[in-house]
Parts: sequence; C-alpha cells; structure tokens
Amino acid sequence: MNPKFRVVSIMRGALLACAWAAGAALAAPSGPTATPDAVPAPGAPGAAAAPDDFKTLDQEVQGLKKDVIDLNKDLFVLEEELLFPANTQVALYVSMDVGSFFALDSVTVKIDNKEVKNYLYTAREADALLKGGVQQIYLGNLKVGKHELVAFFTGKGPVERNYKRGATITFDKGVGAKYLELKITDRLAKHQPEFTIKDWE
Amino acid sequence: MQSVINSLRPLVLSGLLLALTPAAAPAKNVKPDPNGLPPQDVKDLHYGDVLFYFYQDDYFDSITRLLAARQLDRIPHTQGEAELLLGGLYLSLGEHVEAGRIFEELLNKNTSEAVRNKAWFYLGKVWYQRGYLEESERALRQVSDKIDPRISAERYMLLAQLMMRQERYDDAIAALSNWHGAPDWTAYAQFNLGVALVRKDRLADAIPYLDRVGRIETRSEELLSLKDKANLALGFALLQAHRAADARPILQRIRLEGPYSSKALLGVGWADVGVGEFKRALVPWLTLRKRNLLDSAVQESFLTVPYAYNQLSATGQAADFYNSAIESFDAELKRIDDSIEKIRTGNLLDRLLDDDKKDTLTWYWQLTTLPDAPESRYLYTLLASNEFQEGLKNYRELNYMSRNLDNWRGDVAAYDDMLDTRQEAYKRRVPKADAVMAATDLGGLTQKRVDFESRINEIEKSKDVAALGTPEERQMWIRLKRVEDYLVAHPDDPELAEMREKHRLMRGVMYWRLSASFKARLWNERRSVKELEAELKETQKRAVLVKQARAGMPTNTGAFAGRVAAVRARMDQLQQRLAGISAEQNRFLQALAIRELEGQKLRISTYQIQARYELAAIYDRATNDKPKAQQP
Repeated sequence: MNPKFRVVSIMRGALLACAWAAGAALAAPSGPTATPDAVPAPGAPGAAAAPDDFKTLDQEVQGLKKDVIDLNKDLFVLEEELLFPANTQVALYVSMDVGSFFALDSVTVKIDNKEVKNYLYTAREADALLKGGVQQIYLGNLKVGKHELVAFFTGKGPVERNYKRGATITFDKGVGAKYLELKITDRLAKHQPEFTIKDWE
Repeated sequence: MQSVINSLRPLVLSGLLLALTPAAAPAKNVKPDPNGLPPQDVKDLHYGDVLFYFYQDDYFDSITRLLAARQLDRIPHTQGEAELLLGGLYLSLGEHVEAGRIFEELLNKNTSEAVRNKAWFYLGKVWYQRGYLEESERALRQVSDKIDPRISAERYMLLAQLMMRQERYDDAIAALSNWHGAPDWTAYAQFNLGVALVRKDRLADAIPYLDRVGRIETRSEELLSLKDKANLALGFALLQAHRAADARPILQRIRLEGPYSSKALLGVGWADVGVGEFKRALVPWLTLRKRNLLDSAVQESFLTVPYAYNQLSATGQAADFYNSAIESFDAELKRIDDSIEKIRTGNLLDRLLDDDKKDTLTWYWQLTTLPDAPESRYLYTLLASNEFQEGLKNYRELNYMSRNLDNWRGDVAAYDDMLDTRQEAYKRRVPKADAVMAATDLGGLTQKRVDFESRINEIEKSKDVAALGTPEERQMWIRLKRVEDYLVAHPDDPELAEMREKHRLMRGVMYWRLSASFKARLWNERRSVKELEAELKETQKRAVLVKQARAGMPTNTGAFAGRVAAVRARMDQLQQRLAGISAEQNRFLQALAIRELEGQKLRISTYQIQARYELAAIYDRATNDKPKAQQP
C-alpha cells in the first residue's frame, strides 16, 4: 500500500471518529424541559466508560445516602423528644394565605410577656410562605396551665405602607404538645390583611 | 448555552414536585387577581413545615422533616400527597431507587393521570442520565400521551436516545420516523434520525434529514449549534463515502466562530484534498493550526499541513512543519503526563468542588467551571459526560452528608451531658418530692370535700338559712333561739308578753334577712365546692405526674441514653462507610479523568508516530534523490 494513502487513511479514520464524537452525538434541545445530552459515539476517546462500574458504585451510594437520610430523621426525632418533650412542648407556626395586602418583614413573639422570638424574613422565606409553606417559628417548653401569647407582625401593608399589627391569645397548656398557628390572611371585604392565632387542639 | 440550560433545570423537577403537592400548593401566587383567591386552610401544620423548606429548594431538611412527621403520625390529612412528595424528594436527592419504589407503590389508578405521568417521566429521565437504560425505558413507557406536549416530545426523544445508546438503531429510526412532536423539537428529532440512519449505513436516507436541519433559518444559539452539528455530521458522512465534492459546501455552512468550527476547517481541508486541491486545503488547515493544541482537530492539522505541502512537493516546508509538530506533541505529551501525575497524587475532586456552594443538595446541580489548574484544560470533555457529572454529584452529596453527621456529633455529645445533668437533678429532687408527697393527705382532703358538699346539701334540703349566715348573724340567731327556748319554757307569764312580741318581731326580721341572702350564699358555697373539687383534681393530677415522673425518670433517662448511644454507633458506622465510598467514588472519577487524559495522550502519540514516520520518509526520499542528482 502506498504510504501516502496509508497515512491519509489513518488520519481520516481518526478524524471521522472525532467528528462523530463531537458532531454526531445524539441531540436534544435544552429548552425548558432540557436534556443537554452528549452521548459520544462508540469508540470515541472518553466514551469507553464502564457503565457497570458506575452503576455498582451508584447503587452503593444510593443505599448509603438512604441510611444517612434515615439516621438524620432519627436524630431529628430524638432531639425533639429529648429537648421538647410532649408534656411541655409548645410549637408556634406562621402561615400566610394569599398575601396580596401584606408583605411580611418580621414577626416578634412574646409568651407571658417575655420575648421568645424575633424573626426577620428573607425574600425566599416569605415566598415559601406565600406558596403554602408553614414555618415553625418557635419550639419551646412551657409549664402546664394558662399562658398568654402576643405576636407582632411587621411589613408592608396596602399601598406599600409600613404596617405593624398584633394578635393575642390566651391558651391552656395541657399535658400534650401545644401547637399554635399565627395566621396572616387577606380580608377581602376591607382590603386589609388580617392576623389571627389559631389554637390547634 | 450551558448557563441557559442550568438556569432552566430547576424548573424541571420543581414541575414534578409542584405536581406532587396539589393540595398544599393550590394555585397561589404573589399577585393574585383582584377578586382574590379563596382562603386555604392548612390541613396539617407539619406538612406545611415540610413545604416551607421544600419551596426554598432545601430538599434535605424537607425530607428529614417529612420522614419525622410521618413517623410521629403528624400528617393524618395529607398522607397521600406527602407520600408522593416523598418520592419526588428522594428523586431530587438522587435517590432514584427509593423514588422508584415509592412511585411503583403509589402511582396506581387512584393517582391522577397528570401526576402519574410527570412522576414516571422524571424518574425515567433521571434513570436515563444515570445510565439505567432499561429502567428508564420502562418508566418512560408508563407515561401516557395525555401530557404537556413539550414533556411528551422530550419523552419520545429520550426513548429514541436510549435506543440509540443501546445501538438499537432500527427501533430508533422507527420511533423517530413517526415523530409528531412540538415544532422546536422536530429539528432534534430529524437530526437524531439522520444520525441513526448513518449509523445503519443508510446515508442516502439520512441526507434529507441532516440537510434540512443544516439549512434551518434561526437566531437561536441552541438551534444554530444544532445546525452546525448537523452540517458537520453530514459533511463527514459524505467524506467517508468518498463524496468530497458534495461534502465541501455542506461543511462551509458551519459558522467560523462556533463550537464546531475547528472540525469544520479540518473537514473542508479534507474535502479539498478529496478533489485533489492540496493548495486550497492549506488555507483552512493553516488557519486551524494557529488554534489551541488541546483541540483534536488542531492536533490533526499539525499533520495535515505538512502532508499537503508534501503533496505539493514542498518537502522543505513539509519537513519543517513535521519537526514543529513533533516538538509540539512532545511538549503536549509532557504536560499530559504531568497532569496525570497530579491527578493521581492530588485531590482532584476536592479542588473541583472548592468553589462550590455547599449548603444545599439539588438534583440539577452541575459543575460548570473548572479550577485554574494545568490539568483542567484537558477535562472539559469530561465535564460534558453524564457519567462524570453524576459521579461528581454523588461525591458531593456524600461530602454534604458527612458534614451533616459531623454537625450532629456535637449535639449528640451535648445530649449525653444533658442526660447526666438530668440524672443529677433527679437525685437531688427526689427526697424533697418524697417529703412533700408524704405530707400531703390527698385521701383526707378528698373526704373533707365530700363531707362539706353533703353538709351544703343538708342545709339546702332543710332550708337552714341560719347555717349560711355570717358569724354575727349566727350568734344573733343563737341568742334569739335561747330567748325563744325561755319563752317556750314560760308560756303563761304575763310579764313576758312584751318580750314575746319583741322576740317575734326580731326573729322575723332576722329570718327575713337570712332568707333573703340564702340563695346567693348557697350558690357561693356550691361554687366554693366546685373550685375545691377542681383544685383537688389538679392536685391529684399533679401528684400522679410527680409519681409518674419519679418512677419514669430513671427509665426515661435510661431509654434516651440508650437511643443516644445507638445513634452515635450508627453515626460512627455511617461515617466510616461514607469515607470508604467517597474514596471509592474519588478513585472512580479519578480513573475517568486519567482515562480521558490517556485517550488524549494516545491520540497525540499516534500523531507523533505518524509525523516521525513522514519526516523519516521525506529524509529518505531526499537522501535517495541526492545521489541521482549528483550523477552526471
């Protein structure tokens, strides 16, 4: 074989492999439901991956991650049961429904005239509340008996005005855990936000 | 383009997850319509708490709270949707096996078709990315056609792609030939169909599809890139079929500044060579030769340029370019060797992840930039591969989880101290509590209350109005009674007539006064009894609590101590496994990186051998030609 043609043939072979690796890989658009895929052609450098090795390792990783997630849950439960046993536990939650008349900046909570929480919201957190998330703003312990809770909400009210409102409730702490929901809702008739506290029996 | 992809990716899974939270995330938005949205009551506070973290993309905290709430039976009204969300969260954390298990269980006929379709679709997609092709196909085939047209289009595309990855080209051709997807997906379908046809040696059938994509009129960068890709694929397919003249105009359609321009320049040169135009081939090849040697097309140009000069009988220039190529390849091979050495001895992955934001886990995370290090220049190809990215994601997640356990370690140590303190306090308080309990006769107190109530009942029954009078009134009543008794004892004494009349009057007044306040006083007494009863009950309850606490405290503390010890043992064991598997993952990805570099090295070495061979051939010819030239 003429060496000239041999070289050309080798080079073309290599060239075509490269071209197919980069140019003729499968394609998919990266639109809103994108798969930015680039599957190299067989035989292309870097394409001779070992999928079985990856899968074996991936399955080990899967099992391990699942165990860590389970342990994390057990630690979370243990912490709560240890630090906030049900007979003294009081948990306060903040929820926000609709929110067209109020943009939340902060919440201050007083129990029996003692400030237990002053929480400033990030835009991300306020957005999570608007989407339907409910924030556990305070978890603490209280003795059995009557207690008074006062919550102050600050933010922007209708027409971008600074707005500060309070809500109060007297509740009975029994032997079980006590859950209270600080609710921010829209009062459509008055075009005003409304702040209430719901006692979850 | 990559940045666009990344910015869009979060939308993808959130699409599924939002679909999985239909009740908890009713069509709420920041700026509702003027009529407002109907108020939504929270059904389970703890489910809302899960969503609070979920909506902030904090999937790890979200899943932890969800699993805890489920274990503690705190989500009785949202169980179904919570379970679907759990599947989605597992999927978002890369736990596709667990997600698949949950979906298999849940996605039955009771689940809405929309949710079912989305769940199977995203599961299929994640499996595809991780190379679980059979599982991916099974999941994607569960998706019905009643789904968003764009998702449907992507679903068909994924199916075709996985067939091609399995080299089932006939299946892929059949699937893509019947393509009826959204218009912006059609170009991709046609491109993939063209590729599948070429792979089956059906170039004539492939040409119309690739040519159509190669002529698209568009301003979209993504479609322009696809257009280049199609022209490159078609151009080289034609070159391979020895149709150089047809290949040239196709390759010339490719943009000079696009990602495929180097390969296009190389191809145009070969097309010129194919029609015997060596001088014309030098134009693209010399342009290419000035580019970065990392590009394989540029590497090849180091050989093709002297090859063309040689064909044009410019052997001196050819020899110079071959020598220069050998030197450049030498330098490049040394750089690759150094990089391989550095990867072997160093901590490549940790350096890759050095600038990474470490506080969240999301499935759409991808490494997009490489550190400024010599070996980075060789690894960009690797970054484009699912295998490397998914492996790196696993490594990153393992690191995150290891840090998470480290954070708990300090807390768990504090729990031990706390339990010791509680035990101490218990020992101190028990004698006091015992003394108080011993001094408290709860039985006697209860009996007194019963007696008191009976007495009130008797007073009411006998209408003994004086019994509820004030002490003065009762004193007065007794004195009047004494007078009455005296008067009764002397019924016929006329001197007592006046006294008798006075007594009658005073007794009447007194009785009237006592009688008038009797009802109110009786009510007060009854209220006192009730209050006493309530206080006694409270005292009894507290006494029971004290007794329970006294008896339960050692067991309780002991049980907690046992749980703390158990979680600590699990933490130790998991940390060991995390370290082991992280190291394994590190080795695996390191091997991938080294294999990538070895591949590049092999290619350059092959080129270098060719360059040396060609140079030797030139010298040979020159040596052989000299004696002939010296002959008279």
